[in-house]
Amino acid sequence: MNIITGLINGTITGATAILLAALGGSFTYYAGVFNIAMEGMILAGAFFAVLGSYYLQSWLLGILCAILGSLLLALIFILFAVVLDTDEFLTGIALNLFALGATTYLLRQIFGVKGAFADAAIIPIPRIHIPWLAEIPGIGPIISGQNLVVYLALLATMGSAWLIFRSRFGLRLRAAGYNAPALTASGVSVARVQSQSLLICGVLCGLAGAFLSLGYVRLFSENMSAGRGWISLAAIILVKGNPWGIAIISLLFGFFDGLGLLLQRYGVPAQFTAMAPYVATLGALYVYSVRGRKNRSLEAGMQG
Amino acid sequence: MTNQKFLSGALGIGVGLLLGAILMLLQGYNPLTTYGALFDYSLGGLYPLATTLRTAVPLILTGLSASVAFAAGPVNLGQPGQLVMGALAATVVGLYVDLPAPIMLPLLLAAALAGGTAWSGLAALLRLRFGMNEFITTLMLNMIADGFTLWAITYPLREIGSNSTMTPLIAKGGRLPEMGEFSTSIIVAGLAFGVIWFVYNHWTAGYEWRITGQNALFARLGGVNIDKNYLAVMLVTGALAGLAGGLVLMGGPHRFLKGLGANYAWDGVMIAVVANNGLVGTLLYGLFFAALQSGALGMELITAVPSEFILVLQAVIVLVGVAGRVIIELWQQRRRTWQLARGGPQREQAT
Repeated sequence: MNIITGLINGTITGATAILLAALGGSFTYYAGVFNIAMEGMILAGAFFAVLGSYYLQSWLLGILCAILGSLLLALIFILFAVVLDTDEFLTGIALNLFALGATTYLLRQIFGVKGAFADAAIIPIPRIHIPWLAEIPGIGPIISGQNLVVYLALLATMGSAWLIFRSRFGLRLRAAGYNAPALTASGVSVARVQSQSLLICGVLCGLAGAFLSLGYVRLFSENMSAGRGWISLAAIILVKGNPWGIAIISLLFGFFDGLGLLLQRYGVPAQFTAMAPYVATLGALYVYSVRGRKNRSLEAGMQG
Repeated sequence: MTNQKFLSGALGIGVGLLLGAILMLLQGYNPLTTYGALFDYSLGGLYPLATTLRTAVPLILTGLSASVAFAAGPVNLGQPGQLVMGALAATVVGLYVDLPAPIMLPLLLAAALAGGTAWSGLAALLRLRFGMNEFITTLMLNMIADGFTLWAITYPLREIGSNSTMTPLIAKGGRLPEMGEFSTSIIVAGLAFGVIWFVYNHWTAGYEWRITGQNALFARLGGVNIDKNYLAVMLVTGALAGLAGGLVLMGGPHRFLKGLGANYAWDGVMIAVVANNGLVGTLLYGLFFAALQSGALGMELITAVPSEFILVLQAVIVLVGVAGRVIIELWQQRRRTWQLARGGPQREQAT
């Protein structure tokens, strides 16, 4: 029982950052922006979360700084890809490398260290204990006692699903990606909608970064995002941006993350267990593409 | 046209350096002494120049890999993984085979090429057999290659009794000789660049890569086998990245250390991006970025600006370079429209 609870908690921990970043990316996906800058946004968020939490001595201000840092990248993306109309792929690649370079530089310049900065004075984001639910045997330790950001991620999933499919903003968002000229004809600026989607992505990625550096650890290390932004991009592509689908895929990746940590205790080398989420991504892509092919051949057969 | 390329390139670097100078001023450093130290330690003298060229080898080769791939269509972002797999393959051969240098050097280079090719070939296979997009799979394979090489040098290949994570030295015959200060890895990289440049510009295969990248439908109607073409580009670009890894190993530490791949491959991707996938541009930007990197430590020594500042500077130059191209194009378009409006050829025809 203890192992299962641990595995489920590991799954949730592993899934949260990917889920938040992928939700952010789903907004830009629907708005028709080829946004691959999530990796850099998460990294910037993780760095500025530590910066804010350490100097301002508050986890809340840490989260705020994380969101501001990530938003800064979103603004640069808007300036380049939306205003100047440069290639979105190139802008994204350059921004990710900019985030990596800038955080490594600032780590050295502000904290005077190379590699990683960990300090007891960094205030972590607290866990939330829900008084009544914690008493339930079995699922109590899962529902209650999670990190605040985990609950925020759950709210963000519901909020995103509502915003994208049920609100006027969501209608315009999807129109921007689906049929931009129609949106323009109805008097709404496509550039404006796309910019808004990038700003939302910045906020959610900042939150994901804050969870990485202030959630279960209290440190920032170089290239801390470690491909989570790319995995979130894969998740978006797999489920075509649907927030509920993203939640399920993120939990799947989180499960392999947690499973890796568990296997490490049974003597499997850490270098192999660290590969688990990436291998899982390849596996998911495989299943998706094979299924896609079957559907296509089915359609072709029905037409013929 | 070529002039315009040089203009936009020089403009990008100039504005990038200017922005870097402003950043330095904001932090209370003197930009002139900083840039002076930077270029003094990368270009001023034989030893600095040799270091710059040695650094340029992996940057140019991975940059070339990315340029050829992007220009021909496949979004191969797997250079980091292909580089370390190439280096690992060369390491394994270098540890278990001990032959004289004339046999050993080509053997290790072939192993490096094969290592990189195998890793990019895996991504190509996943695409051709299962329709999995190489954009995501190469990125995931990077992470897997990182884990795999780290495991290999931690357990099976680790030097016994050593405190750090690394393999023993490879056989003497497999180490690239030095010419004075200069590493012969420069010659190998130069040859590789020459071959790729020739194939790309003068061979049918290179022509097919280029037109497929520009218009795949046109290429297919013209008789290009798209799948075969895709496979060829993936294999060649993987081989280039693998060669970069092999040369880093054989010309430098002569053993696989933890972190051997550094950030070379991502820098290479950046170089391809800012060079707009042009081969000569990749070469020039590769040399320039290598100068920045090799001068960074000297800069830190003289002026107390942390060497990591170069990472920011590189990214700023790339961003400015990419945006600069678009702005120049827009400006030219406007000028053309303006000339037409003022009485270009069209109005003369009308009267």
